[in-house]
Amino acid sequence: MSEQIREQVSAFLDGELPNTETELLLKRLTRDGELRESFGRYALIGEALRGAGSQILTRGFAARVNLAIDGEPAQAPGHAHQARASRWWRPLAGVTVAAGVATVAIVALQQRAISPGLRVASAPTAQNASVPGGGGTREALSYTVPVRSADVPAARSPARLTNYVFAHSKYSLGLGQRGVLADLLIEDDEPQPAPIQGVAQPSLTPDVRVAP
Amino acid sequence: MTRSQQSRAYWLVPCALVGALLTTVPRLSRGADDPREWLEKMNKALATRNYDGTFFHLSGGRVETMRIVHRVRAGRVTERLQSLDGSGREFVRANGELTCYLPDQHTVLVEPRQDRGPFLGSLPQFDASVSNFYRIEALPATHILGRPARVIAVNPKDQFRFGYRLWLDEKTAMPLKTQLCDSRGQVIEQIFFARLDMPENIPDGDLAPTVRTVGMRWVRQGPSSDNASAALAAYRASQLPPGFRLTIQGAQTLGGATALASHLVYSDGVATVSVFVEEQPATAPGAAAAPDAQPEPPLQGLARVGSGYAFSTIVQGHQVTAVGEVPAQTVEFIAHSVKIYSGGELPRH
Repeated sequence: MSEQIREQVSAFLDGELPNTETELLLKRLTRDGELRESFGRYALIGEALRGAGSQILTRGFAARVNLAIDGEPAQAPGHAHQARASRWWRPLAGVTVAAGVATVAIVALQQRAISPGLRVASAPTAQNASVPGGGGTREALSYTVPVRSADVPAARSPARLTNYVFAHSKYSLGLGQRGVLADLLIEDDEPQPAPIQGVAQPSLTPDVRVAP
Repeated sequence: MTRSQQSRAYWLVPCALVGALLTTVPRLSRGADDPREWLEKMNKALATRNYDGTFFHLSGGRVETMRIVHRVRAGRVTERLQSLDGSGREFVRANGELTCYLPDQHTVLVEPRQDRGPFLGSLPQFDASVSNFYRIEALPATHILGRPARVIAVNPKDQFRFGYRLWLDEKTAMPLKTQLCDSRGQVIEQIFFARLDMPENIPDGDLAPTVRTVGMRWVRQGPSSDNASAALAAYRASQLPPGFRLTIQGAQTLGGATALASHLVYSDGVATVSVFVEEQPATAPGAAAAPDAQPEPPLQGLARVGSGYAFSTIVQGHQVTAVGEVPAQTVEFIAHSVKIYSGGELPRH
């Protein structure tokens, strides 16, 4: 990835990329899988650096990368131009450390994904515990999810699960439905066929245009 | 597609206070800056406006470029969601059906689907019960795509559900960027719009599928039914995470199968989890006529699906799968609690 594209990716994630350049970046990302991977890594790094998420993404993503690397202070939001100009002034160090952060972040995500053995607090669970017939035996006040065997992967869904997800999406609410459907569009981690003929590319026009 | 976590203790007191305020402040007294007002504006924009946009979908370090086209004409919604750089998959909702083109699987799934709710989604109304489990707040305004934007956070109060951060266009209330977050605020999935047009008219051609379907297998999911078999209808989750309750129960055929599967929907008002209960198929779908067809192995364990998870297990000879846009532990919790109520006494939730 060239330095120019790195700057574009970084500026886009900072919310600072001009619309005309956003259009070019979109075109590049659409046809360059390697660039998409890099884009994803940078986004992940930004979120990892942001920690608990109380800050807004568009504030100095790249500046925080620099801060994490060598203690350089983050640029103030009003210094976007200057921040961008010096964004990748140490590309080698940046990439090396950034890759390390990305690895940590990815591992952290995966560990969260497969962390078993949750114990649920008894009080809230009890509110939802079944009471058959109203006077029957009450369910246990606490519940422990059994620990899964280590060989159960948190893998992408096999094809059979697609039917469940598709049916479920009907009842997903709001943005959850968006997520379910958008992810169904994503290819599985398997070799992919050649691009489908006839898939139209969008007309790329910058910014938001609102009909009068 | 990920994750969970423990909520932070220091959230509890302010969350409780904010939640109490949110539930007691009358709707009419909300100001223009009230985050719930902005969520409602977003709901309205997503449901009623025409839009055509290209966005980046980031999840787990992976990026996909997608296009969304949404048209409302004479009260009817037609919508297309298309992968531009990956699988070539495409969804089209029109004429009361949702059609999912999966060229990489040589399959087209079709399901009856009412013209309700946009693909991009909208948040439900936040009533008192929802406020018990989510904290809504306005974050400092910013700019995105060169436009001023409001930033709204919908934070989960525990580890059983995900939350959202939304960057809403100041003028149109359209979500220019959204993040799905876990209870610690860690981003699981995000969407950046790189382009968003809101034209007055969208031609039919922009809503037509572009996938060539020659040679593809068409699978029609059966319409929903109110009644599963007596055996399947007796299955219920015996315990639920706080705030979840049964909202829909029914049955439908899945993936071209002939037998009905029981479908239970549990929701906390924002997140939903579906529980499917079905007979363990003797053979793989579509292979029933083959003399050497092998029994399909049961699904067991955890799988990532979309922005959430599925967890499958076997309960008294039936395949039970819980799936939803929730953390892994939530689907696992619910799936493991499913049991058969043979005496006709069903749980109240």
